[in-house]
Amino acid sequence: MVDFARVQKELQECNRDFGVSGIKVIPKNEANLTQLLGTIPGPLGTPYEGGTFNIDINLPDGYPFEPPKMKFATKVWHPNISSQSGAICLDILKDQWSPALTLKTALLSVQALLSAPEPDDPQDAVVAQQYLREYQTYVGTARYWTEAFAKASSLNVEEKVQKLVEMGFPEALVRSALESVGGDENLALEKLCSG
Amino acid sequence: MEEDYYSMSGGSEEEEDCYSSDREDDSIYGLTNEDFDAQSGAPSKAPYSKVITRESLLAAQTEHLRRVMDLLSVREHHARALLIHYRWDVDQLIAAYVERGKSCMFAEAGVTVVEHVDLDPPETSSTVMCNVCMDDVPAKDVTRMDCSHSFCNDCWTEHFIVKIKEGLSRRIKCMAHKCNGICDEDIIKKLVSVRHPDLAEKFDRFLLESYIEDNKMVKWCPSTPHCGNAIRVENDEFCEVECSCGLQFCFSCASEAHSPCSCLMWEMWAKKCSDESETVNWITVHTKPCPKCHKPVEKNGGCNLVGCICGQAFCWLCGGATGRNHTWSTIADHSCGRYKEDSEEKAEIAKRYLYRYMHYHNRYKAHTDSFKQESGLRETIKEKIANLEAKDSKLRDFSWVTNGLYRLFRSRQALSYSYPFAFYMFGDDLFKNEMTTEEREIKQNLFEDQQQQLESNVEKLSKFLEEPFDEYSVEQVMRNRMEVINLSVVTDNLCKKMYECIENDLLDPLQFTTHMIAPYQSKGIQKAVELTTGWDAQISSNNEFHEAADQFNGTGQASTSGTSDDSEQLSRKRPRKGNFATNLIDLNLPA
Ligand SMILES: [Zn+2]
Ligand SMILES: [Zn+2]
Ligand SMILES: [Zn+2]
Ligand SMILES: [Zn+2]
Ligand SMILES: [Zn+2]
Ligand SMILES: [Zn+2]
Ligand SMILES: [Zn+2]
Repeated sequence: MVDFARVQKELQECNRDFGVSGIKVIPKNEANLTQLLGTIPGPLGTPYEGGTFNIDINLPDGYPFEPPKMKFATKVWHPNISSQSGAICLDILKDQWSPALTLKTALLSVQALLSAPEPDDPQDAVVAQQYLREYQTYVGTARYWTEAFAKASSLNVEEKVQKLVEMGFPEALVRSALESVGGDENLALEKLCSG
Repeated sequence: MEEDYYSMSGGSEEEEDCYSSDREDDSIYGLTNEDFDAQSGAPSKAPYSKVITRESLLAAQTEHLRRVMDLLSVREHHARALLIHYRWDVDQLIAAYVERGKSCMFAEAGVTVVEHVDLDPPETSSTVMCNVCMDDVPAKDVTRMDCSHSFCNDCWTEHFIVKIKEGLSRRIKCMAHKCNGICDEDIIKKLVSVRHPDLAEKFDRFLLESYIEDNKMVKWCPSTPHCGNAIRVENDEFCEVECSCGLQFCFSCASEAHSPCSCLMWEMWAKKCSDESETVNWITVHTKPCPKCHKPVEKNGGCNLVGCICGQAFCWLCGGATGRNHTWSTIADHSCGRYKEDSEEKAEIAKRYLYRYMHYHNRYKAHTDSFKQESGLRETIKEKIANLEAKDSKLRDFSWVTNGLYRLFRSRQALSYSYPFAFYMFGDDLFKNEMTTEEREIKQNLFEDQQQQLESNVEKLSKFLEEPFDEYSVEQVMRNRMEVINLSVVTDNLCKKMYECIENDLLDPLQFTTHMIAPYQSKGIQKAVELTTGWDAQISSNNEFHEAADQFNGTGQASTSGTSDDSEQLSRKRPRKGNFATNLIDLNLPA
């Protein structure tokens, strides 16, 4: 049985210093405290800067004696996070979990993982290979994904694509051009015209 | 009287040595104990394996626990945590203690020995915040572990229950993040039994069985249905043992005794023999289904047009139906892009591989089959002995028959397992990069020479034992007797040599892999004896007392003398665990 008293306390505690940490946890549904939604800001100085990442949190029966289940709801390009499923490869969410950790400390660890990928223990082999072999391409793709999926303006990406396609460029080219310039519409247009 | 029965090229001295030593301590373990026990005096060699029953499981580990408790002055749960960390290898534990010091060794194993006294015991009225449930709880309901972390009893209990249910309960770690501390088993038992007495019991059993599960020198007997026993070996896990339930097995891999095959070789061989992939392979390479009637059609000759008995012609390369009109290289109105040599070459390789396998398998099987047939010999031999005894001749001693029969079984076994060994030793599956073709050829010749000598002597021994000697005259029986005695010595010796050759000349030089085999045991697989409490203490002699004392005094050298050159083991190159473990007896233990 989940210790709901503790979960309540955790939620209050965490959201109290949202102003400092930028980390937030809210129940998806007030009646059920086992399904939560966490939010972390992309760390400054990383390709995730400016993004806001949503994380699905599922509390198992044994919580806090068993680790919470977490996965990214926002698509993210990172060696330790599946680009397909959002699954996270992080030790404290597995065997290194301790009941003395909290949702907030776990989310802080996830945020730290965004700043410091560990490509030697990858969740997503494709991203990890790119990270190791073509670092700049990795940065570009990660930035584009942040732009495309983790920003309030992300909704506009599809609009941007639509607009450029209407200008007569093939969709695949449009997407790759947008991706290579980190989502900037004007730079993408320049690239499409020159290429 | 037994002067010159038989002389094998070279080494006749050794044979005699071997024979006379055979006579001295005639105890024979293994295959047919009841037949041979009569001759055995007191077993002169200490057995190297013990049977641990459910009843003696506690006693088996108490010995180790108390040694560590006394040596390091720690409590039982600390000793257990340390022993589990070092996989119940007291030897290694003490080495770590000497090399790295107490505090470093303890930290690695997650053991903290509290030396501080709580100066200000919490007032019973005060409350403490528990960092797990985040509640304020009365100080009396909080438990502090040795690592100094404290949480409330409810949280501890919940933590223990989750871990025990996960089956990871032998080393339950503290709840604090990144704390490596192992929880006190007495506290665990006390707290868990309040809410779940059944889980507390389970926990107790897990702790007990850790001695088997986490210990490379102890293994469950693989019998099915399970006899409930475990076997403990003393010096070397590469050996073959017999449980008190009668099952003989390879201690290292828990499958049937298979020396001189290494465990990996045996695993591969058993798998190969069980699936028929080889034959299936051959069929798919050598036949193709007819496109009309689907019967498999074998190709003979070089032409790629094949005909089925149903009258249909088809192209061997693509399997497509064709007309009959063709030349050597083409079929009229048919074209396909298959590369001829490629498929023929594959077929050739598969065929060679299969033939090689069949060669070894046939011989392996022939000897296992003979072994099975010869098991029936025991009965006829008994009859023959009875007949001879009834004749009231001067013949009294028939140990040569039973010994000879025993030797036949023993050698037959070694011989049959030597074929899968050779299959892998000189094949490409395991050691392709270990030897050049020339080296391999030389070694293979060397080995096969020995193998063949053994083989021919085993067959001779078998022949003499099958003779109807109960119908012979006394002189004839005596002649037969000499042959059997001689051949027994010779085959025993040849077995020993073959194992030596395998260990020293074939496996030892391997560079990329290590293959260990159980040593040859002239007297067969040793029966493990029931473990009795204080056994180790009983055999400790004054001499060992001093050795052990030296070791305690920090010389840290494993002694080389002592009781454990007990088993009939060959001298081996690989570093064997010395007598450190067996001799390092707790001097404070009551016998
Ligand atoms: Zn608590
Ligand atoms: Zn601790
Ligand atoms: Zn058994
Ligand atoms: Zn084995
Ligand atoms: Zn046909
Ligand atoms: Zn033809
Ligand atoms: Zn064809």
